[in-house]
Amino acid sequence: MGFWVTTLIFLLAGVVGSLFSLLCCNRGPSTNLFHLTLVITATVCCWMMWAIVYLAQLKPLINPILSGE
Amino acid sequence: MARGGGGCCPPMDLMRSEAMQLVQVIIPTESAHLTVSYLGELGLLQLKDLNAEKSPFQRTYASQIKRCGEMARKLRFFKEHMSKAGISTSTQLTEISLDFDDLEIKLGELEAELAEVNVNNEKLQRTNNELLEYSTVLQKAGEFFYSTQRSAAAQQREMEADQSGESSLESPLLEQDMLTDASKQVKLGSLSGLVPKDKAMAFERILFRATRGNIFLRQESVDEPVTDPSSAEKVAKNAFVIFYSGERAKAKILKICDAFNANRYPFPDNVAKQLHAVKEVSAKISELKATIDMGLAHRDNILKSIASGFENWNRLVNKEKSIYHTLNMLSVDVTKKCLVGEGWSPVFATTQIQDALQRATLDSKSQVGSIFQVLNTTESPPTYFRTNKFTSAFQEIVDAYGVAKYQEANPGVFTVVTFPFLFAVMFGDWGHGICLLVATLYLIIQEKKLASQKLGDIMEMMFGGRYVIMMMALFSIYTGFIYNEFFSVPFEIFGKSAYACRDPSCGDAATEGLLKVRQTYPFGVDPVWHGSRSELPFLNSLKMKMSILLGVAQMNLGIVISYFNAKFFKNSVNVWYQFVPQLIFLNSLFGYLSVLIIIKWCTGAKADLYHTMIYMFLSPTDELGENQLFPGQKTVQLVLLLLALVSVPWMLIPKPFFLKREHERRHQGQQYAMLQSADDSVVSELGDHDVSNHHEEFEFSEVFVHQLIHTIEFVLGAVSNTASYLRLWALSLAHSELSSVFYDKVLLLTWGYNNIVIRIIGIAIFVAATIGVLLVMETLSAFLHALRLHWVEFQNKFYEGDGYKFAPFSFALISEEEG
Repeated sequence: MGFWVTTLIFLLAGVVGSLFSLLCCNRGPSTNLFHLTLVITATVCCWMMWAIVYLAQLKPLINPILSGE
Repeated sequence: MARGGGGCCPPMDLMRSEAMQLVQVIIPTESAHLTVSYLGELGLLQLKDLNAEKSPFQRTYASQIKRCGEMARKLRFFKEHMSKAGISTSTQLTEISLDFDDLEIKLGELEAELAEVNVNNEKLQRTNNELLEYSTVLQKAGEFFYSTQRSAAAQQREMEADQSGESSLESPLLEQDMLTDASKQVKLGSLSGLVPKDKAMAFERILFRATRGNIFLRQESVDEPVTDPSSAEKVAKNAFVIFYSGERAKAKILKICDAFNANRYPFPDNVAKQLHAVKEVSAKISELKATIDMGLAHRDNILKSIASGFENWNRLVNKEKSIYHTLNMLSVDVTKKCLVGEGWSPVFATTQIQDALQRATLDSKSQVGSIFQVLNTTESPPTYFRTNKFTSAFQEIVDAYGVAKYQEANPGVFTVVTFPFLFAVMFGDWGHGICLLVATLYLIIQEKKLASQKLGDIMEMMFGGRYVIMMMALFSIYTGFIYNEFFSVPFEIFGKSAYACRDPSCGDAATEGLLKVRQTYPFGVDPVWHGSRSELPFLNSLKMKMSILLGVAQMNLGIVISYFNAKFFKNSVNVWYQFVPQLIFLNSLFGYLSVLIIIKWCTGAKADLYHTMIYMFLSPTDELGENQLFPGQKTVQLVLLLLALVSVPWMLIPKPFFLKREHERRHQGQQYAMLQSADDSVVSELGDHDVSNHHEEFEFSEVFVHQLIHTIEFVLGAVSNTASYLRLWALSLAHSELSSVFYDKVLLLTWGYNNIVIRIIGIAIFVAATIGVLLVMETLSAFLHALRLHWVEFQNKFYEGDGYKFAPFSFALISEEEG
């Protein structure tokens, strides 16, 4: 699917998550900022994990050698 | 007074602790009790103990506390008896308001009644046991006499037949006894009773020696243990009969019996009297039983009536005790007939506290109102975070290492996400994640019911951390999809694998391996890797680099948070001479390494990164050759090395000089102000324990050494902390290997046999091993290591954690403590 497309998907998911948290639990500006921080942190962590695993498999130096069963 | 104070960024919940103020309340004595009671219900004021030098007995309300202690003792007495009788207290807390004095009288009456009933019951039981022993003695001793009578009769027949005159020890004596022959003038006395079995031999021996063998003792053990009247325990006993002659022998025997706790009972000589005695004893026993039952029923009634009100009384007594303890902390202003209290409270609670004070004044019909005023102080306030049931568990995790200093940045904000995330990196398996999620959802759904129950220690901890575990489970499901492991089995959920054989026959699949023919597998690790021979080299390389990248990211976050702390406390020295060099040092070395990793992945180069990093230090001017990843790399590396070297003295040297200059500047101003402050301090002398706070000495050498230690810690820590993040790789490898072993070597192996019994055993072992090793042990292990990464590697970049927690006077907290 491509690196940038999926990154965009993660970005959109983060935005949707933030809007959702704003809509459902709107409790004042400082609480909203807190929820926003949590959603952004979670999105960034998940994206980093995916991106690392994806990039490592882009141009691999090792090939899978089956165990011959 | 808050030092520094925001302005740089919009406020965020939980990021910094609540603003606190030192307040002083002056309460008239007549409304004191009610005021403290309302403040306790509010629970937002932490009072300082103004009477710390006084002993507990010198304080004003010591007698009241003694009364409360007495009542608590009586309640404990009731509780003990209720649990012995097996009556449980009802846990409903009704809102009946009881008067304290009335309750005291009532408790006193109930205690006296209960004690009396208990004493009576005990007496009856003792009498009952004695009667039971007596009936046993009657039965056993009766057997002696009948058996010897029979043998005596047999002997007599023998003698008549024999006329030999040979006499056994027993028969002649008893014969005479039975026949009451007045011809032989030896009058024998007899004693019978029960002696404990373990002392029986010693008893016999001492009797023999004391009476010089002139007694006859016959013992027989009683089959069942008998309840001893004095100790109320079941003891194995022997029934005995002693025949003696003479008064002196009788006296000795009596003394010996008493010494051995042998209970004696009168045994009538003749048969008719024996039967009569047996009948009498059984009648008395049945009568007594009825009385005892009635006594127990009466006691149970009393206990039941206590049980219905027990929880309320307990709560009331605890409340009153805490109120008086708090009243004891206020200092008495005798001249003005009022109590003065000082304490910390959050700024937002000001109106609520004033409201409570007003209500107390009204309700106690006092003429004078209470005074509430804010004091200025340089003391460091306590730390208070307003958490809800979700964030409180994470905040407790952070507080376990150290409570945040007043208003410094709270790592708890990020911990809510990064802690479960790092756990999941080490735990990644979406099958196990689903198991964890199901378990914790049960706890969350049954929240209300479980919260009111008393759970065991381990369950209590799990229940308290249910939201943490839920987050951990959700992230584990995510990382499970990324690592593509469902109980170690990969699936092709997100598309086809990117690898295929070189030629259709797949002849060299086991020697040369597969080729990448399609686009990279879109989400996560390609499913073809699992079970292949080159799985470990590939995954190890991937996970180690991932650990480094995640570690450098988290450490950079820590350093950035320290920047926000410096901005908040308006400490520009920290910004320019600590934050900037730290950022430069960490990133020119390990940030550069992260960049190299990403470039290597994107270009597929064969450069050796270990070699690159090490030779960057050892011989930076050498040509890179085949380790070159981008043009100009040598120059870049030289520049970064220089920056790193420069940043070390940058963080070491300037800061102590700046601190010294600031201190001199502050002290210069202070010299002038000292005369005036001397007058002020006399007036505002209310419990100021820290008058001489401003005269901190400034030892330059001490500050320099402190900064040196800090610098060395950071520089060495940069390497060691980065390496420490490799535990993410290590634990994730362990988890996937264990999971793989259990799946391949237990489940698949036993499934291969066609026997249903072996299959069932295999499944059972697989389930047990998964739950015991992977779901319990690995969870705890990954939890611990994620915790360590947060506490040490993340928090030592910015966290001071030397504050103290806000502990307000609150009835809710006290009742939680009681359990």
